[in-house]
Amino acid sequence: MTVVPELTEHERAHEAAESRRGFLMALPAYLYLIVFFAIPLAIVFVYSFATRSRTGGTDLSGWNLDSYGRLGEDIVTRVVFRSFGLAMTTTIICLLLAYPFAYFVATRRPAVRGLLLVGVMIPFWTNFLVRNYAWRVLLSNDGPVSQFTEAVGLGETQILFTQVAVVIGLVYGFLPFMILPLYASLERIDPRLIEASRDLYASSWASFRKVVLPLSRPGAIAGSILVFVPSFGAYVTPAILGGDKKPLLGSYIVSQFLTARNWPFGASLSSVLIIVMLSATLVYFRAGGRNL
Amino acid sequence: MIRGWTARLLGGATGLVYLFLYAPVLLLVVFSFSADRNVGRWGGFTLEWYREFGANENVQSALAISLQVAIVSTLVATVLGTLAALALERFRFRGKKVFDALLYLPIIIPDVTMAVMMLLFFTWSLDLVDTVTGFQLRKGIATVVVSHIAFNISFVSVVVRARLEGMDQTLEQAAADLYASRWQAFRHVTLPLILPGIVGGALLALTLSLDDVVITQFASGPGSTTLPVYVFGLIRRGVTPLINAVSVVMLAASVLLVVLSLIAQRSREPGRATTE
Amino acid sequence: MASAVELKGVTKRFGDVVAVDDVDLSIADGEFFALLGPSGCGKTTTLRMIAGLDLPSAGSLTIHGEEVGPLPPNKRPVNTVFQNYALFPHLSIEDNVAFGLKMQKVAKGEVGRRVAEAIELVQLGGMERRKPTQLSGGQQQRVALARALVNRPKVLLLDEPLAALDLKLRQGMQNELKALQREVGITFVFVTHDQEEALSMADRIGVMGDAKLLQVGRPEEIYEQPVSRFVADFIGRSNFLPGTVAAASTVTLANGASIPAPTADRAAGTVVDVSLRPERVRVEQRDAAPDDVARLDGVVRSATFLGNAMVYSLGFDWLELEARLENRPSQQRFSPGDEITVWWREDAIAVVDGGSG
Repeated sequence: MTVVPELTEHERAHEAAESRRGFLMALPAYLYLIVFFAIPLAIVFVYSFATRSRTGGTDLSGWNLDSYGRLGEDIVTRVVFRSFGLAMTTTIICLLLAYPFAYFVATRRPAVRGLLLVGVMIPFWTNFLVRNYAWRVLLSNDGPVSQFTEAVGLGETQILFTQVAVVIGLVYGFLPFMILPLYASLERIDPRLIEASRDLYASSWASFRKVVLPLSRPGAIAGSILVFVPSFGAYVTPAILGGDKKPLLGSYIVSQFLTARNWPFGASLSSVLIIVMLSATLVYFRAGGRNL
Repeated sequence: MIRGWTARLLGGATGLVYLFLYAPVLLLVVFSFSADRNVGRWGGFTLEWYREFGANENVQSALAISLQVAIVSTLVATVLGTLAALALERFRFRGKKVFDALLYLPIIIPDVTMAVMMLLFFTWSLDLVDTVTGFQLRKGIATVVVSHIAFNISFVSVVVRARLEGMDQTLEQAAADLYASRWQAFRHVTLPLILPGIVGGALLALTLSLDDVVITQFASGPGSTTLPVYVFGLIRRGVTPLINAVSVVMLAASVLLVVLSLIAQRSREPGRATTE
Repeated sequence: MASAVELKGVTKRFGDVVAVDDVDLSIADGEFFALLGPSGCGKTTTLRMIAGLDLPSAGSLTIHGEEVGPLPPNKRPVNTVFQNYALFPHLSIEDNVAFGLKMQKVAKGEVGRRVAEAIELVQLGGMERRKPTQLSGGQQQRVALARALVNRPKVLLLDEPLAALDLKLRQGMQNELKALQREVGITFVFVTHDQEEALSMADRIGVMGDAKLLQVGRPEEIYEQPVSRFVADFIGRSNFLPGTVAAASTVTLANGASIPAPTADRAAGTVVDVSLRPERVRVEQRDAAPDDVARLDGVVRSATFLGNAMVYSLGFDWLELEARLENRPSQQRFSPGDEITVWWREDAIAVVDGGSG
């Protein structure tokens, strides 16, 4: 009869070794993100409580809420509401364009589906700046769009440097972000569910509304967040296609650092933007979404 | 399941979306060969603007800097992002949840705020280095690379994790059962199976690095202007046919990366158990 | 006889859940041993502990006398055929089979020779260069077998090896596996939830239920002398007649009748169930049954034609019984409503502990 060894210790040692191994693998990225992401994030919050010195520098010694107080100013609320409205418009247009598209693609044969999807992936990977610039060219005075509208007798188009141009640019830039998650959720719907609803006396419209639409909601929500977030803080598109007269949040924040040189105020705007975005994402994850 | 006029309607809408997606860039390509100085007008075929692209020293140096930044940041981010993905998908460890959340943040946060973060961080930290050691460091290519790595790690890890998630874990157990050590199992089974994911993640990182304007602008100093930042500055001053040509070159680079990433994705799905 | 695998007090906990509870088991060298039980009973975890894929929380696990409890899988002289085969999709058949030998740094020439041998053994000659996805389920299974056997393990572990195959193929593979095991003479331990598979292939069976090893024995023993209602119910089908032990070798059934039964050493008054297999139930027209045996009068409730047999549901005022009569030309048939008498031979029944266990 041999002595039966107690093995729980081996088990524990094994788990400790595994845990150590995992931690060590995560460590480089972990440290990197703490130093070059978490700390910068914290610094933004710290700066948002600081004071702008007369020379445009930042005085970190006297902590105050002055910058946050300025958030209530008319100019700021106008910028925020304008950006919000623009981002909402962009999101809704993307949703309206992407839904029939994604639905059509999801209901094709697999081979066709793959091909159609690649067609969406290519613009997704195409340089963002170039895609915005393309619209600058199209919409320019005397540019192709204007030439076209003149030729058909509608007169010159003058939408460059307006909010319409910005929305066009944003939709163009972020449409793939809406299509891909929408497609993913539509493609996952078992076609037998639709057949079952038809069998249970639903018209094709009713079966779409009662079956397809609710089941594709996670994709629509994910897509909306993916479009809304970068649209709300967009900088490049408004800078290329929009005018200077009606600033949007992104350019307004940038101008606090590059031209107005009021870093504490820019930092407080950034902090608010970050908190709004994080809450939106958190709400989405809490609601059970996982498509990000 | 969808037939008749509904399908035709949907098909029509799909066609219009494609037109919307492709017509602008295709027209841009066409106009880059137009001799007319007005960027949106056809004035006969010319390669003049591409010649100017080749001759313009500012463009050339910005291109060189862009490539350096993209390659270095992609390499580092791919290694760190892959390790992070492996740790998160295959191990349990302390602080895992915090790490997971931290890894998501750079994806969620808007470019502009990330740019602000980098500006303030480098201002503060270079100041700190100055007061502590007396070294007067300035923002430059290194700070741009650092900021690109910071957002690219997250994107690489997301892509690699998706691949790892789809891989049958019993394959690793089978390797261990067949006398492979941890390292051998990784080297001979896991790595070859997730390689397309790693390549895909690296290509995405490369694309994002070559795409970025605002973060780079805020993290760069004199002498570290990348091509997108340079072109962005040019556009703000007014459009010229030269920008058309530069844009088309950047477009070509993007298309090359897409093709490469599609090839990476085409390679076989990770080892799902195949049963009939 | 030397033990190939020996478990003493082996327990596995996952958090608060006890997956395997204090299992003692000895598997002989060269034996074809089956671990049988419903899903979630702990049989796969037991197998995984032998393989080293899970570590025991307590107890001792030896392979050919050597304690292996804390050893990782790559340091154990056992190999596994995984449920879904877990063939490496990026490697050819040949490279899959060679994997274990290469990891052990076996000389190149020998690797080639042994791989060829193993592929020959499972009759997959000519398939060497194919990828696993190009093979059928049955062929993949053979690759998995070759990949494990080429290492000449002391014990081969098989996790539901036939579950992924369709019925016809499964029956063919049962015979092949059995023949293969005789040919190579290696101890096979396989896990299954399919009782027929276990009964037809194994030299001995260990029945597991709810994390515990309930009974170990030859297939006939398990079937004829189940130790509990659970085992009797899980292996084949069975009727249970509630009763109490009256005296040694006598049970008083719930209707008051006393019958002779193997009560073992149970004390008088113990609540028991008498297990009676449907195919052991004899059915006669009322009063045509012999007089000197235990008998019950009842009525045919329903009759189901199964081709090779008839299954009757028989009603009594205190219970229902299922009877299965082979479809032989001489066999009398009954219809619902017929008044019948059932009886059984004394050695047709087993006594198990009563209650719902």
